[in-house]
Amino acid sequence: MDLERLNYDENNRHHRFIRKLAISVVSLVVFFLIWWNLSLILNNPAVPTPGETWDAMRYLFEKGDLVSGMTMWSHMSISLQRFIAGLLLALAVAVPMGLLLGYSNTLNEFSSPTLEILRPIAPIAWAPIFLFTVGYVWGPILVVFVGIFFPMLTNTIFGVKKIEPNWMDAAKTLGANKKQVFTKVMLPASVPYVMNGLRIGMGVGWMCIVASELYASYGGGVGYFVSIQAQLGYWPNVFVGIILIAILGILTTGLSDYAYRKIVKRMGIE
Amino acid sequence: MSGNISIANLSKTYKTDEKETVALWDFTLYIEEGELVTIVGPSGCGKTTILRMIGGLTEPTSGTVALGGKICQGPGPDRGMVFQDFALFPWRSVRKNVEFGLEVAGVPKAERRERAERYIKSVGLEGFENAMVHELSGGMKQRVGIARALVTKPNVILMDEPFGALDAQTRNIMQTELLRITEKTDTTVIFVTHSVDEAVYISDRIVVLTKRPASIKEVIDIPWPHPRDRSSPEFTALRRRILKMLESENIQPDGKEGSIA
Repeated sequence: MDLERLNYDENNRHHRFIRKLAISVVSLVVFFLIWWNLSLILNNPAVPTPGETWDAMRYLFEKGDLVSGMTMWSHMSISLQRFIAGLLLALAVAVPMGLLLGYSNTLNEFSSPTLEILRPIAPIAWAPIFLFTVGYVWGPILVVFVGIFFPMLTNTIFGVKKIEPNWMDAAKTLGANKKQVFTKVMLPASVPYVMNGLRIGMGVGWMCIVASELYASYGGGVGYFVSIQAQLGYWPNVFVGIILIAILGILTTGLSDYAYRKIVKRMGIE
Repeated sequence: MSGNISIANLSKTYKTDEKETVALWDFTLYIEEGELVTIVGPSGCGKTTILRMIGGLTEPTSGTVALGGKICQGPGPDRGMVFQDFALFPWRSVRKNVEFGLEVAGVPKAERRERAERYIKSVGLEGFENAMVHELSGGMKQRVGIARALVTKPNVILMDEPFGALDAQTRNIMQTELLRITEKTDTTVIFVTHSVDEAVYISDRIVVLTKRPASIKEVIDIPWPHPRDRSSPEFTALRRRILKMLESENIQPDGKEGSIA
């Protein structure tokens, strides 16, 4: 497209924003057209048209689904609550643990054989065990926990190891005791790395929540909804579930990306 | 407590699997309260090690450091330190950096704010109290470093090539600033530098070290008043003399020349 005819100015923030927005809109329109055509060509009930999906979505948000009687709002809120619980749990365990393992080589050497065995296991592989042992409320939460735990732990350990030794020396010569060096230097210095772990963990965690809910036979949640609707063959509803999973995923990772950038900028670290 | 420092028979040996390296051998020096002493020596001779041992950050292999007659154990706020790479906390504002030493000592908030502001002003950073570290130039960062070290009123400040990362002009300005700031107090300053010019400009006394294992080659008194004229004949003569000494130290036994950084 000849942008100069539209008086496009590369150095103008608003112009850049409008350009980006326009491209995104075109991209989405193309996507919907492809979806629509595919659905018509395939003529398969498992691939509903965008229109059918839209109607299903409106119905589900207003009235709820026929199996559980819950609206999509409650399914979303259940999934989000589990996601946040798993996230907080991972934060509460991975950050202190990462600080300790980054600080003490002995502890790191002690725990790394176990951690290296557990790390490559896909979090969702734990779902059947967790759901059986702690039930459908805590099961998905624990799967999310496992998913977020490892990136967060690795990043926190890395962050502690990257702390400038001079910062600790400076704190010591200013009279800080061991505890103050920990709380006033190590903890804040590792924040950008913890945030980076959080950012990566958010993406993994969101996949975990949906996947583990697919296993769960009751209790609500977007993943559960998709699984039940697929069994019943209500395909437009399944599509609604998938779209909401995508939107919630984008929102959560977008939020953590934003927070990460803010913090890194504030601390002047690239 | 008074700010005189007595360093007695300080030695440092680093052990690795293959060999032992003697970094410093039998370093003895007495420094009066309020004196500004610089330590110069061939690169890699262990100047920083001396400073770190006085600061309590590195354990000496043998020997002692006493401040005002009391032997120092580990780091403490009585010996402030200024680092070559500034070592400021980037997550804290200028004010919060300067307040750090007061904060860990439990000084109440209002008082520490007032004291920090006084020192920020004295290093010429008024108006930058709320700036973040990454917004400052190198010279300004080191001003914060100096204010942070001084705010707890240490008896001694240890400066490890504090102006080494600055450009030549900023460096000259900072030397004058340092003299202005420390003149008003009776703080003792121990200053490590690569720059002979800097040493001759600011020092009451210069300690010239030999190459590894470092020991004292010569101690030079400079009784001249401030400000000093860098282009005066006696200034350049002294500078040349010290440079000669360092050059002879940098010649290796096998006749090869050592690195001159």
